[in-house]
Amino acid sequence: MEYLFHVVVIISIYAVLASSLDLIAGHAGLVSVSHAAFYGLGAYMAALVTVYFRAHFLLGMLAGITVVVAASLVVSLPSLRLRDDYFAIATFAFQLILSNLLNDWVTVTRGALGISGIPRPVIFGWEPRSNLEFAALGLSLVAVAHVVVGRLTTSPFGRVLRAIREDEVFAQSLGKDTLRFKVTVFGIAAMLASCAGALYAHYMTYIDATSFTLNESMLVLSMVIIGGAGSRWGPLFGAAVLVIIPEALRFVGFPGPLAAKLRQLSYGGLLVFMLMVRPRGLVGRYGFGR
Amino acid sequence: MQTFADSVLNASWIMLVATGFALIYRCARFFHIAHGAVFTGAAYFMFSLTHWLALPVSVAAPLAVVLGSLLGCEMEICVFRPLRRQHASSLVGLLASLGVYIVVQSTLSTIFGDDTKTVRTAGVAEGLLLAGARITSVQIVTFLLSVVVVSSVAILLRTTRIGMLIRAVANDPELSVVHGVENDRTILLAFALGSALASLAGILVALDVDMTPSMGLNPILLAVVAVIIGGADSTVGIALASLLIGVARHGAVLCLGSEWQDATSFTLLLVVLLVRPRGLLGRPRQAVGA
Repeated sequence: MEYLFHVVVIISIYAVLASSLDLIAGHAGLVSVSHAAFYGLGAYMAALVTVYFRAHFLLGMLAGITVVVAASLVVSLPSLRLRDDYFAIATFAFQLILSNLLNDWVTVTRGALGISGIPRPVIFGWEPRSNLEFAALGLSLVAVAHVVVGRLTTSPFGRVLRAIREDEVFAQSLGKDTLRFKVTVFGIAAMLASCAGALYAHYMTYIDATSFTLNESMLVLSMVIIGGAGSRWGPLFGAAVLVIIPEALRFVGFPGPLAAKLRQLSYGGLLVFMLMVRPRGLVGRYGFGR
Repeated sequence: MQTFADSVLNASWIMLVATGFALIYRCARFFHIAHGAVFTGAAYFMFSLTHWLALPVSVAAPLAVVLGSLLGCEMEICVFRPLRRQHASSLVGLLASLGVYIVVQSTLSTIFGDDTKTVRTAGVAEGLLLAGARITSVQIVTFLLSVVVVSSVAILLRTTRIGMLIRAVANDPELSVVHGVENDRTILLAFALGSALASLAGILVALDVDMTPSMGLNPILLAVVAVIIGGADSTVGIALASLLIGVARHGAVLCLGSEWQDATSFTLLLVVLLVRPRGLLGRPRQAVGA
């Protein structure tokens, strides 16, 4: 049972990541492979603030959000001049720089040793201990993220995002300051990713840079595309599918490391397959320019 | 002096990968990330040929180049040609290529394991002392081969019929069809040639510093940096950009420490993308900029 709730926690972390990335990639059409960078920054800030300064859990989360929103400017401002694949390449660069930083700025991040002993969170006197309680926490974060993303995308704001995706020049000609919209949506998505990072850090109580690499970014992007970009349930669906596949493989009897590799194989293969056969994803609508 | 030698060596294999990448990029018009998988694949072909079939390096290396080139062609035939038929955008090409990269890398790590494999027969060679820098014979071969191969590709593109076909497709695919060029075959040719260059680089790097399944990611991203900085249609530009990257990477070792190599090269990319997205020597392109 504990194992089942563990899987639920992991799914909910990825669901938050995928639905926030979908805000950028699916709705605004800016494909980014740097989501794990924001996720990692959030996790590291939460860990550093609570471990070194013994500060409150919510304070760490707030610090993470602040730093991540500032960092998101590094990616969103270049979108003024870059689009489509050139923009994606810029996000590659950002992700790699950040991985490098997390892994090698040893004085702060302790490098490959990682940060251990991250305290469990205390929220208004409630301290989740069991996996069940964490699953409840995770699912409520998913609910919050889902409502935020849903409200944003059905509002006029979301309509402008889709206008940017379909034809940015046209959106500009209607007097929309598209850069402002892009910066805002990036900030919001990064904020959600940072919350997911904080949850991850406090749940695992140990983090190191290997959890926030380029591969992780690609995994989250695959979740969005396989589930269905630009749709309400697609990213959640994609997150659930891609988390359950390796767990199911392990359950059937494949050893852990092999299951991890097969997971990589399956999401890479699924990504290619979906792009070729059904680019709008399992339940999505938007097919990246098709 | 050692730093200079290292930079030039680094630059020479980046140049090999980048020239192949640019060839494919010009014809097929998308960022072929799986080019890095060809790089890794060729190294592992080399490993299987020398270890399982016990072939000498001199026989195995050309064979591995051919196999690597076939691997690239297979990607084109199975994935990218069907995508082109569906008029997929360059962004979809990039994403699919990313998926292919993940598939190849995880396949290799499933078959061979994640540990370092070597194709070096002798122990660690001390290397020749040349004008105050230690250089191994493999490194000299790498340098000479890359210069010779890249310049012959440049000559091939300029003078032969194959080169003319490739340039025609790169320039205007619709016009080249009107003139009776078979675009698909020409693109396949570009894939074959480009992948052979990446394979060569992969084998040379494996001979110099061994191999892991994830060895291809950094070279391909550095090649993207080189192509963006140098401009895809200029061999000289790519060569100069590779040199710039090599110097920046090894300059970073000297000034900041070896762990900041990646951060330096990708910061360079971000800056170039922001300031001059068409590259230092490149011509303006429609795809870039708002």
